[in-house]
Amino acid sequence: MATLIIKDLHAEVEGKEILKGVNLTVNEGETIALLGPNGHGKSTLLNVIMGHPKYKVTQGSVTYDGVDILSKTTDERAKMGLFLAMQNPSEVPGVINSDFLRAAVNARNEKPISTYNFYKLLDKATKDVKMPFDLATRSLNEGFSGGEKKRNEILQMVMLNPHIAMLDEIDSGLDVDAIQIVADVIKQEQEKGMGFFVISHYARLYDLIHPSRAIVMINGKVVIDGDPSTIKRIDQEGYEFIKTELGIEIAKEEANMNTVSIGTCAVKEIIK
Amino acid sequence: MKRTILKENNLKELLTNDVNYFAIDSSLKEVDIPSNSSINLLITKPHQELTINVKENASLFLSLLVKENIDGGKLNINVSENAKVEVYFADFSFGKETYIFNGQLLGRDSSLNWHLASLTADNDQKQFDISVKHLANSTFAKMDNYGVCKDDGKLVFSGISHVINGASSSKTHQNAKIMVFDEKSIGIAKPILKIDENDVEASHAAVVGKINDEHLFYLTSRGLSESAAKELITLGYLKPILNGFMEEEIKEEIMSLIERRM
Repeated sequence: MATLIIKDLHAEVEGKEILKGVNLTVNEGETIALLGPNGHGKSTLLNVIMGHPKYKVTQGSVTYDGVDILSKTTDERAKMGLFLAMQNPSEVPGVINSDFLRAAVNARNEKPISTYNFYKLLDKATKDVKMPFDLATRSLNEGFSGGEKKRNEILQMVMLNPHIAMLDEIDSGLDVDAIQIVADVIKQEQEKGMGFFVISHYARLYDLIHPSRAIVMINGKVVIDGDPSTIKRIDQEGYEFIKTELGIEIAKEEANMNTVSIGTCAVKEIIK
Repeated sequence: MKRTILKENNLKELLTNDVNYFAIDSSLKEVDIPSNSSINLLITKPHQELTINVKENASLFLSLLVKENIDGGKLNINVSENAKVEVYFADFSFGKETYIFNGQLLGRDSSLNWHLASLTADNDQKQFDISVKHLANSTFAKMDNYGVCKDDGKLVFSGISHVINGASSSKTHQNAKIMVFDEKSIGIAKPILKIDENDVEASHAAVVGKINDEHLFYLTSRGLSESAAKELITLGYLKPILNGFMEEEIKEEIMSLIERRM
């Protein structure tokens, strides 16, 4: 079984440190709920694992199946079996969804997939995620609604069949029915052994996919790594108990806006 | 689709219900598109100067493919009342050239849609001066100029939209995008709006830059190598021009031109 091991991971974006020593092990076949307030490093962690160029790793290691993946390119990581469903999937004009999917499928195969087999695969995947087939023939995510973009991420996941799928707020922008569809696909892939690492702010998705573990990230570190009952508690009480029970101050996001508005007021004073 | 070679300015005589697709001989200097007709024209060799007069209520679909070393060329299109013109220009030529296009919307409710895709590579230096003049009421023009610039090439799009005083209720839009591949390549987009009338709708957009990092990350995160991802994005940039060509063979030829020159 391939395991993803993160040790003392530090990462920064534009000179600002976001991850401040993350330690975590993700086993294949596990479903992990990744929780934490906004701005505390959840998305950053997933993007660093996938190799987003915006984030710079300053310390620590990430290994997958015993291989140091930080020295690998993003496409090599993908071909090793990692997948990231983006929080805001890009719209790429002119790139046809099905051409892109076919190139992605072929990147994993020694021999290019036949047209017949590709369309069979695509047809099944579009039915799984209940997406109209014509979306596959349009420009990648261009003009898609928020929900369609998210379903398209799940479609790609099904077609590429990774070992560990990281889902960054896959349920945001989805209505209740669409969340059910996505959850059904996740359950179907769980049975086949796919592992999941899921960020969500809502208990609804977690209720449907039954995570085996819950991780909470605060201030760029993992502060809770335990059983899934934590999800329910956070859903009901928020993150306040972490401060009272664990004694960890939760850093607020820096409010840069204040200086701007004071500046504006000061200008008004001068004008008077 | 069967194409007929047009050697003289005699479209009116050749036109029937079944014959409405013509390739223009490079010696022609002027072509009249008869009133109330619907014509598809193909040009595969640019003219030194060609003038097309689109008469009342006519509709013209013009496909232009340039694939050789040329010095440049000039195209004038005059659009009469209630006539519609759609131009698709696929430029895969090489060398130094200046290409000039002058569109004139002469009659009310006339319209012009211009699409250009240009690939500039291997020290090519290309300049496109594209202008549209609105001379009547309720005229419409849209200009889309797309370019990819690599290997020390230089590509300049200069677009002028001119609405004269009195051409009220006209709409004019310009859109220029150049993707620059390497440090020494130069892309310049100069959109100019000359508006001498109050009652108009006008807009312009110009983007010159390298491939979006987010797009690249998205595609590579699905297992595509960086070069494969770049190729797919670039193809996506130029490929929509294929919509402007009726013949499958020409579409295939354009695809292979893109692939060869990328």
